[in-house]
Amino acid sequence: MPNRRKGTLAAALRLMGRALPLVLFGVVWQVVVSSGLINREFLPPPTAVAVAFADLFTGGDIAKNLFVTLFRAGAGLLIGAACGVWIGVMMARSQRFKDYVMPIVGGTYSLPKSALIPLFALWFGIGNVTAIAAVFLACLLPMIVNTYHGVMTTPKVLVWSAQALGTTRREVWSRVYLRNALPDIFTGLRIALGFSFVLAISAEMIASTNGIGKLIFMYGENGTYDYMFAAIACVVIVAFFADRGLLLITRRLLGWHESAVADHDRRRA
Amino acid sequence: MLDVVRPKIDIRGVSKTYASERGPVLALRGTDLTVNEGEFVSIVGPSGCGKSTLLYVVGGFLEADGQVIIDGAPITGPGTDRGIVFQEYALFPWLTVRDNIGYGLERQGLPAIDCEKIIDRLIGVIGLAGFDNRFPRELSGGMKQRVAIARTLARDPAILLLDEPFGALDAQTREIMQDELLRIWLETRKTVLLVTHDVTEAVFLSNRICVMSARPGQIIEEFAVALDRERPREELVLSADFNTIRNEVWLSVRRQALAAGQQNAEPS
Repeated sequence: MPNRRKGTLAAALRLMGRALPLVLFGVVWQVVVSSGLINREFLPPPTAVAVAFADLFTGGDIAKNLFVTLFRAGAGLLIGAACGVWIGVMMARSQRFKDYVMPIVGGTYSLPKSALIPLFALWFGIGNVTAIAAVFLACLLPMIVNTYHGVMTTPKVLVWSAQALGTTRREVWSRVYLRNALPDIFTGLRIALGFSFVLAISAEMIASTNGIGKLIFMYGENGTYDYMFAAIACVVIVAFFADRGLLLITRRLLGWHESAVADHDRRRA
Repeated sequence: MLDVVRPKIDIRGVSKTYASERGPVLALRGTDLTVNEGEFVSIVGPSGCGKSTLLYVVGGFLEADGQVIIDGAPITGPGTDRGIVFQEYALFPWLTVRDNIGYGLERQGLPAIDCEKIIDRLIGVIGLAGFDNRFPRELSGGMKQRVAIARTLARDPAILLLDEPFGALDAQTREIMQDELLRIWLETRKTVLLVTHDVTEAVFLSNRICVMSARPGQIIEEFAVALDRERPREELVLSADFNTIRNEVWLSVRRQALAAGQQNAEPS
């Protein structure tokens, strides 16, 4: 099957092409450190980071902490997404609700949520609740905004068609508005996913006894920067795969949506 | 087989005011219209005259002053007795062709076997066999409108409300769709209220044509169309009686359009 071989070869080349910027980045990093441009005490070379990375994994410490961080990010994301969708729908349903919530949403939109972590630590103590609360708050806003947008942009004719086909006023919410908002909800979810990692780790750096964030903070304090970078790399890798996973689910679920076609065509070209 | 002429839709003094940034806009003023059972009535008029608004009021989607009476009872909202087809198709983009057509049947709570039968028959009627599992985005405009019509017919409404259903289609597809609609109407004899800006389309399809005035819209002229629908399209469209009535309606609409133009030119 020469065709298939050509296909895998092309795929491999494409993958290499995509990895090229990363490889170049690594090379520049190595050169900068090796040439003595930056003191290797402050910036360990990628080779040292790789050794530290391997050491972290064989030690098994990282897995436990990673699980803790994932739990906090996931729990906050899940609760934040559920509440965000609910609030977004309620804002679209009731003008009065919107009048109350909109100023709060607008006011807290640009607020750095990590600034509230010390306060949360005061209220909820050191550990899970503080981290989850911070993640929850950060995930809430993109979910509200995107859900609201998705519901509000539902074409009137879709709602009317559904009603003329025997859908009650109540059913229209689940059968039309939410379905129409689904692509936007997933856009919100993708933004919130990124926030969830950022906030979970920030909270752990400030107010936690475990988790990857605590690990990063500890290594930084101790000046073991190779280990600190290894822990950061670990987060980057996990976050990358979480994002890819969500994208995969989105494509599966939203095969009907225009954006799914565009994406498909782009990958083909 | 219409032995007794029975009013199906009775529109009585319907007025509709829209709120706009520059204050309230009167879209309809005291509109009256009666459509008899089995009749195919078209509403034509200059753009912005409120003809679609009137259709939405009959559909129960918009609230208005006055009354819309269906089978002797005033309407209170949308109902499955009035099927609607929009210019923009309004298919549920997340449902396949099959599920779009079956949507109303499922809401009705019909057993699955009966649903499948009706869907299969309608997919045959609209000539989309083999497209069952396609999503709307994969269909052409003409195909989408066929699915929209099938979706409405599936629920078997007594009344069809058509809001410029072929306005977004190219000229050739539009004619094919008109032929299909005419065939469906001849078979089912449903009561049809069609809104269009295409005078030829109105003459080709309807028993009666109502011309609406410029905003605020009112029905100001009516034309009865007594043409033999069984004749083939070429013969009908080229015939003298077809063109006589087409020209009359066209002139009437043009007068309204010119009046609307003057109205807009006046400083307010």
